[in-house]
Amino acid sequence: MATTNVEKIQDEKLRETMATAHKALKEGDFLGVVQRAGDVYLELLKRKPELLAEGGIPARMRIMMFPRLGAHLEREEDKPPTVVWDRETFGFSEAVTYFEFAVDQLVAEGL
Amino acid sequence: MKFGLFYEHQLPKPYDSDQWDPDAEHKLLKNALDQVELADQLGFDYIFEVEHHFLEEYAHSSAPEIFLAAASQRTKNIRLGHGIALMPPRYNHPARVAERISTLDLLSDGRVEFGTGESASEMELGGFGVPREEKKLQWEEATRQCIRMMTETPYPGYEGAYFGMPERNVIPKPLQKPHPPLWVASSRRETTMVAARLGMGSLGFAFEKPEEAAERVKQYFEIVREECTPIGVAINPALAVLSSLMCCDSDEEAMAKGVEGTQFFSYSLAYYYNPFTGAKHQPGKGHIYRKFKDTPEEERMGMFGGRGRGFGGGDDNKEPEDEVQRALWRAAQRGGCIGTPDFIRETLLKYEAAHLDTMIFVSQSGNRKHEDVMESLEMFGKQVLPEFKERHKEHQKWRDGQLAGVDFEINSSI
Repeated sequence: MATTNVEKIQDEKLRETMATAHKALKEGDFLGVVQRAGDVYLELLKRKPELLAEGGIPARMRIMMFPRLGAHLEREEDKPPTVVWDRETFGFSEAVTYFEFAVDQLVAEGL
Repeated sequence: MKFGLFYEHQLPKPYDSDQWDPDAEHKLLKNALDQVELADQLGFDYIFEVEHHFLEEYAHSSAPEIFLAAASQRTKNIRLGHGIALMPPRYNHPARVAERISTLDLLSDGRVEFGTGESASEMELGGFGVPREEKKLQWEEATRQCIRMMTETPYPGYEGAYFGMPERNVIPKPLQKPHPPLWVASSRRETTMVAARLGMGSLGFAFEKPEEAAERVKQYFEIVREECTPIGVAINPALAVLSSLMCCDSDEEAMAKGVEGTQFFSYSLAYYYNPFTGAKHQPGKGHIYRKFKDTPEEERMGMFGGRGRGFGGGDDNKEPEDEVQRALWRAAQRGGCIGTPDFIRETLLKYEAAHLDTMIFVSQSGNRKHEDVMESLEMFGKQVLPEFKERHKEHQKWRDGQLAGVDFEINSSI
């Protein structure tokens, strides 16, 4: 039974990271979930530089797509994006949001 | 499959005037009540009424509990849904929400659907001082406590991150026990999965295609079975999606009467949710409808990520990648429920095959005429709705199978 799309992630390392994030979600480690979601999304942008290469609105959208629920993405010109932490405690619904977002992005980009 | 109507109470300004006619809001709400009364007589199952503040022209629905209370006295069977109540405490204190939901449930003989959400526009968040990065956490905390207020005697009190109150008995209690069915607004897939994990219905505002709905339905029920930790006492396993309705004798007539309203719905929504336009809106002075009309059709989507993108065809007619942008894009299309009864039936059969629980129609939108909306409701209600209603028992059997083994108490109107 699939309660997540983690199995659809092709890259073994990324799949493992998100499987660990899923475990963290069930154990109530919400910060751990958000950290892993941030890590894999940055990794995705690193492996797919074309997503930010165009610049302009599409690149800005890629940065803005990452949920802004206590942690968000920022990017200085010509530098890779980073996760900026507004706080270090997260709720269940926030953790699920980051988790599902990260998994969906990896699957959508074929990683 | 069940059917509902979705109300924003849209009120575009007259093109050649900077303000509405003095009687425009009065007429808008009275017309909406007539539509709801007709929908009840025709056998529609739900109305869902938004709560939005300050979003001129887009949504003149800031006090849904009042409108729903009025509707409760003019209808007999239709269920009265908040689609949704804004839960961050600076919008509504959780105790006040509990009191209003329960009172409406009593007045309507137990017909309330308790939809919850947090809102996303700068006009609203900024207007009430809700920090964007805290809104979901505030929603979660307030919703949990609000449900406790409806079900615990007395409510023992609470000190949380975003609100606190001492022990009190919050009265009245709702007629439906333990509480009305719970929903959460889901404009992204992520929130649908939050809904499943918390045992809430998903009010999907993403204008999903049938194949996407099928995928979500499957995963939603798997999560309900295996990973649900209910936010309330009873779960409401249910999925609803939105579509735009205009049912007429010919496709041409339906498009002529329906498409501009659909496009304005999307345009004005995008206007308020786009940080580059919504945050700069000049209260009392803006004129979204004029902007909409003055923008060439092929450029109307430019404000949300598709420069030069129109509502119609063309080479650049690719769907946006971001889910919310995509929802706005789809909301502006003709969609599957603007056409003849046969055309609409074909569309709905695909959603029915995907085991969708509820289709909610945006029927009043933009400058659509009240008379056109009434005729469309009547035609749909008489020529399309009955066969789906008849087959709903089969869906309920399928649903029972999905929920076999789930031990949680269920309160759901599906």
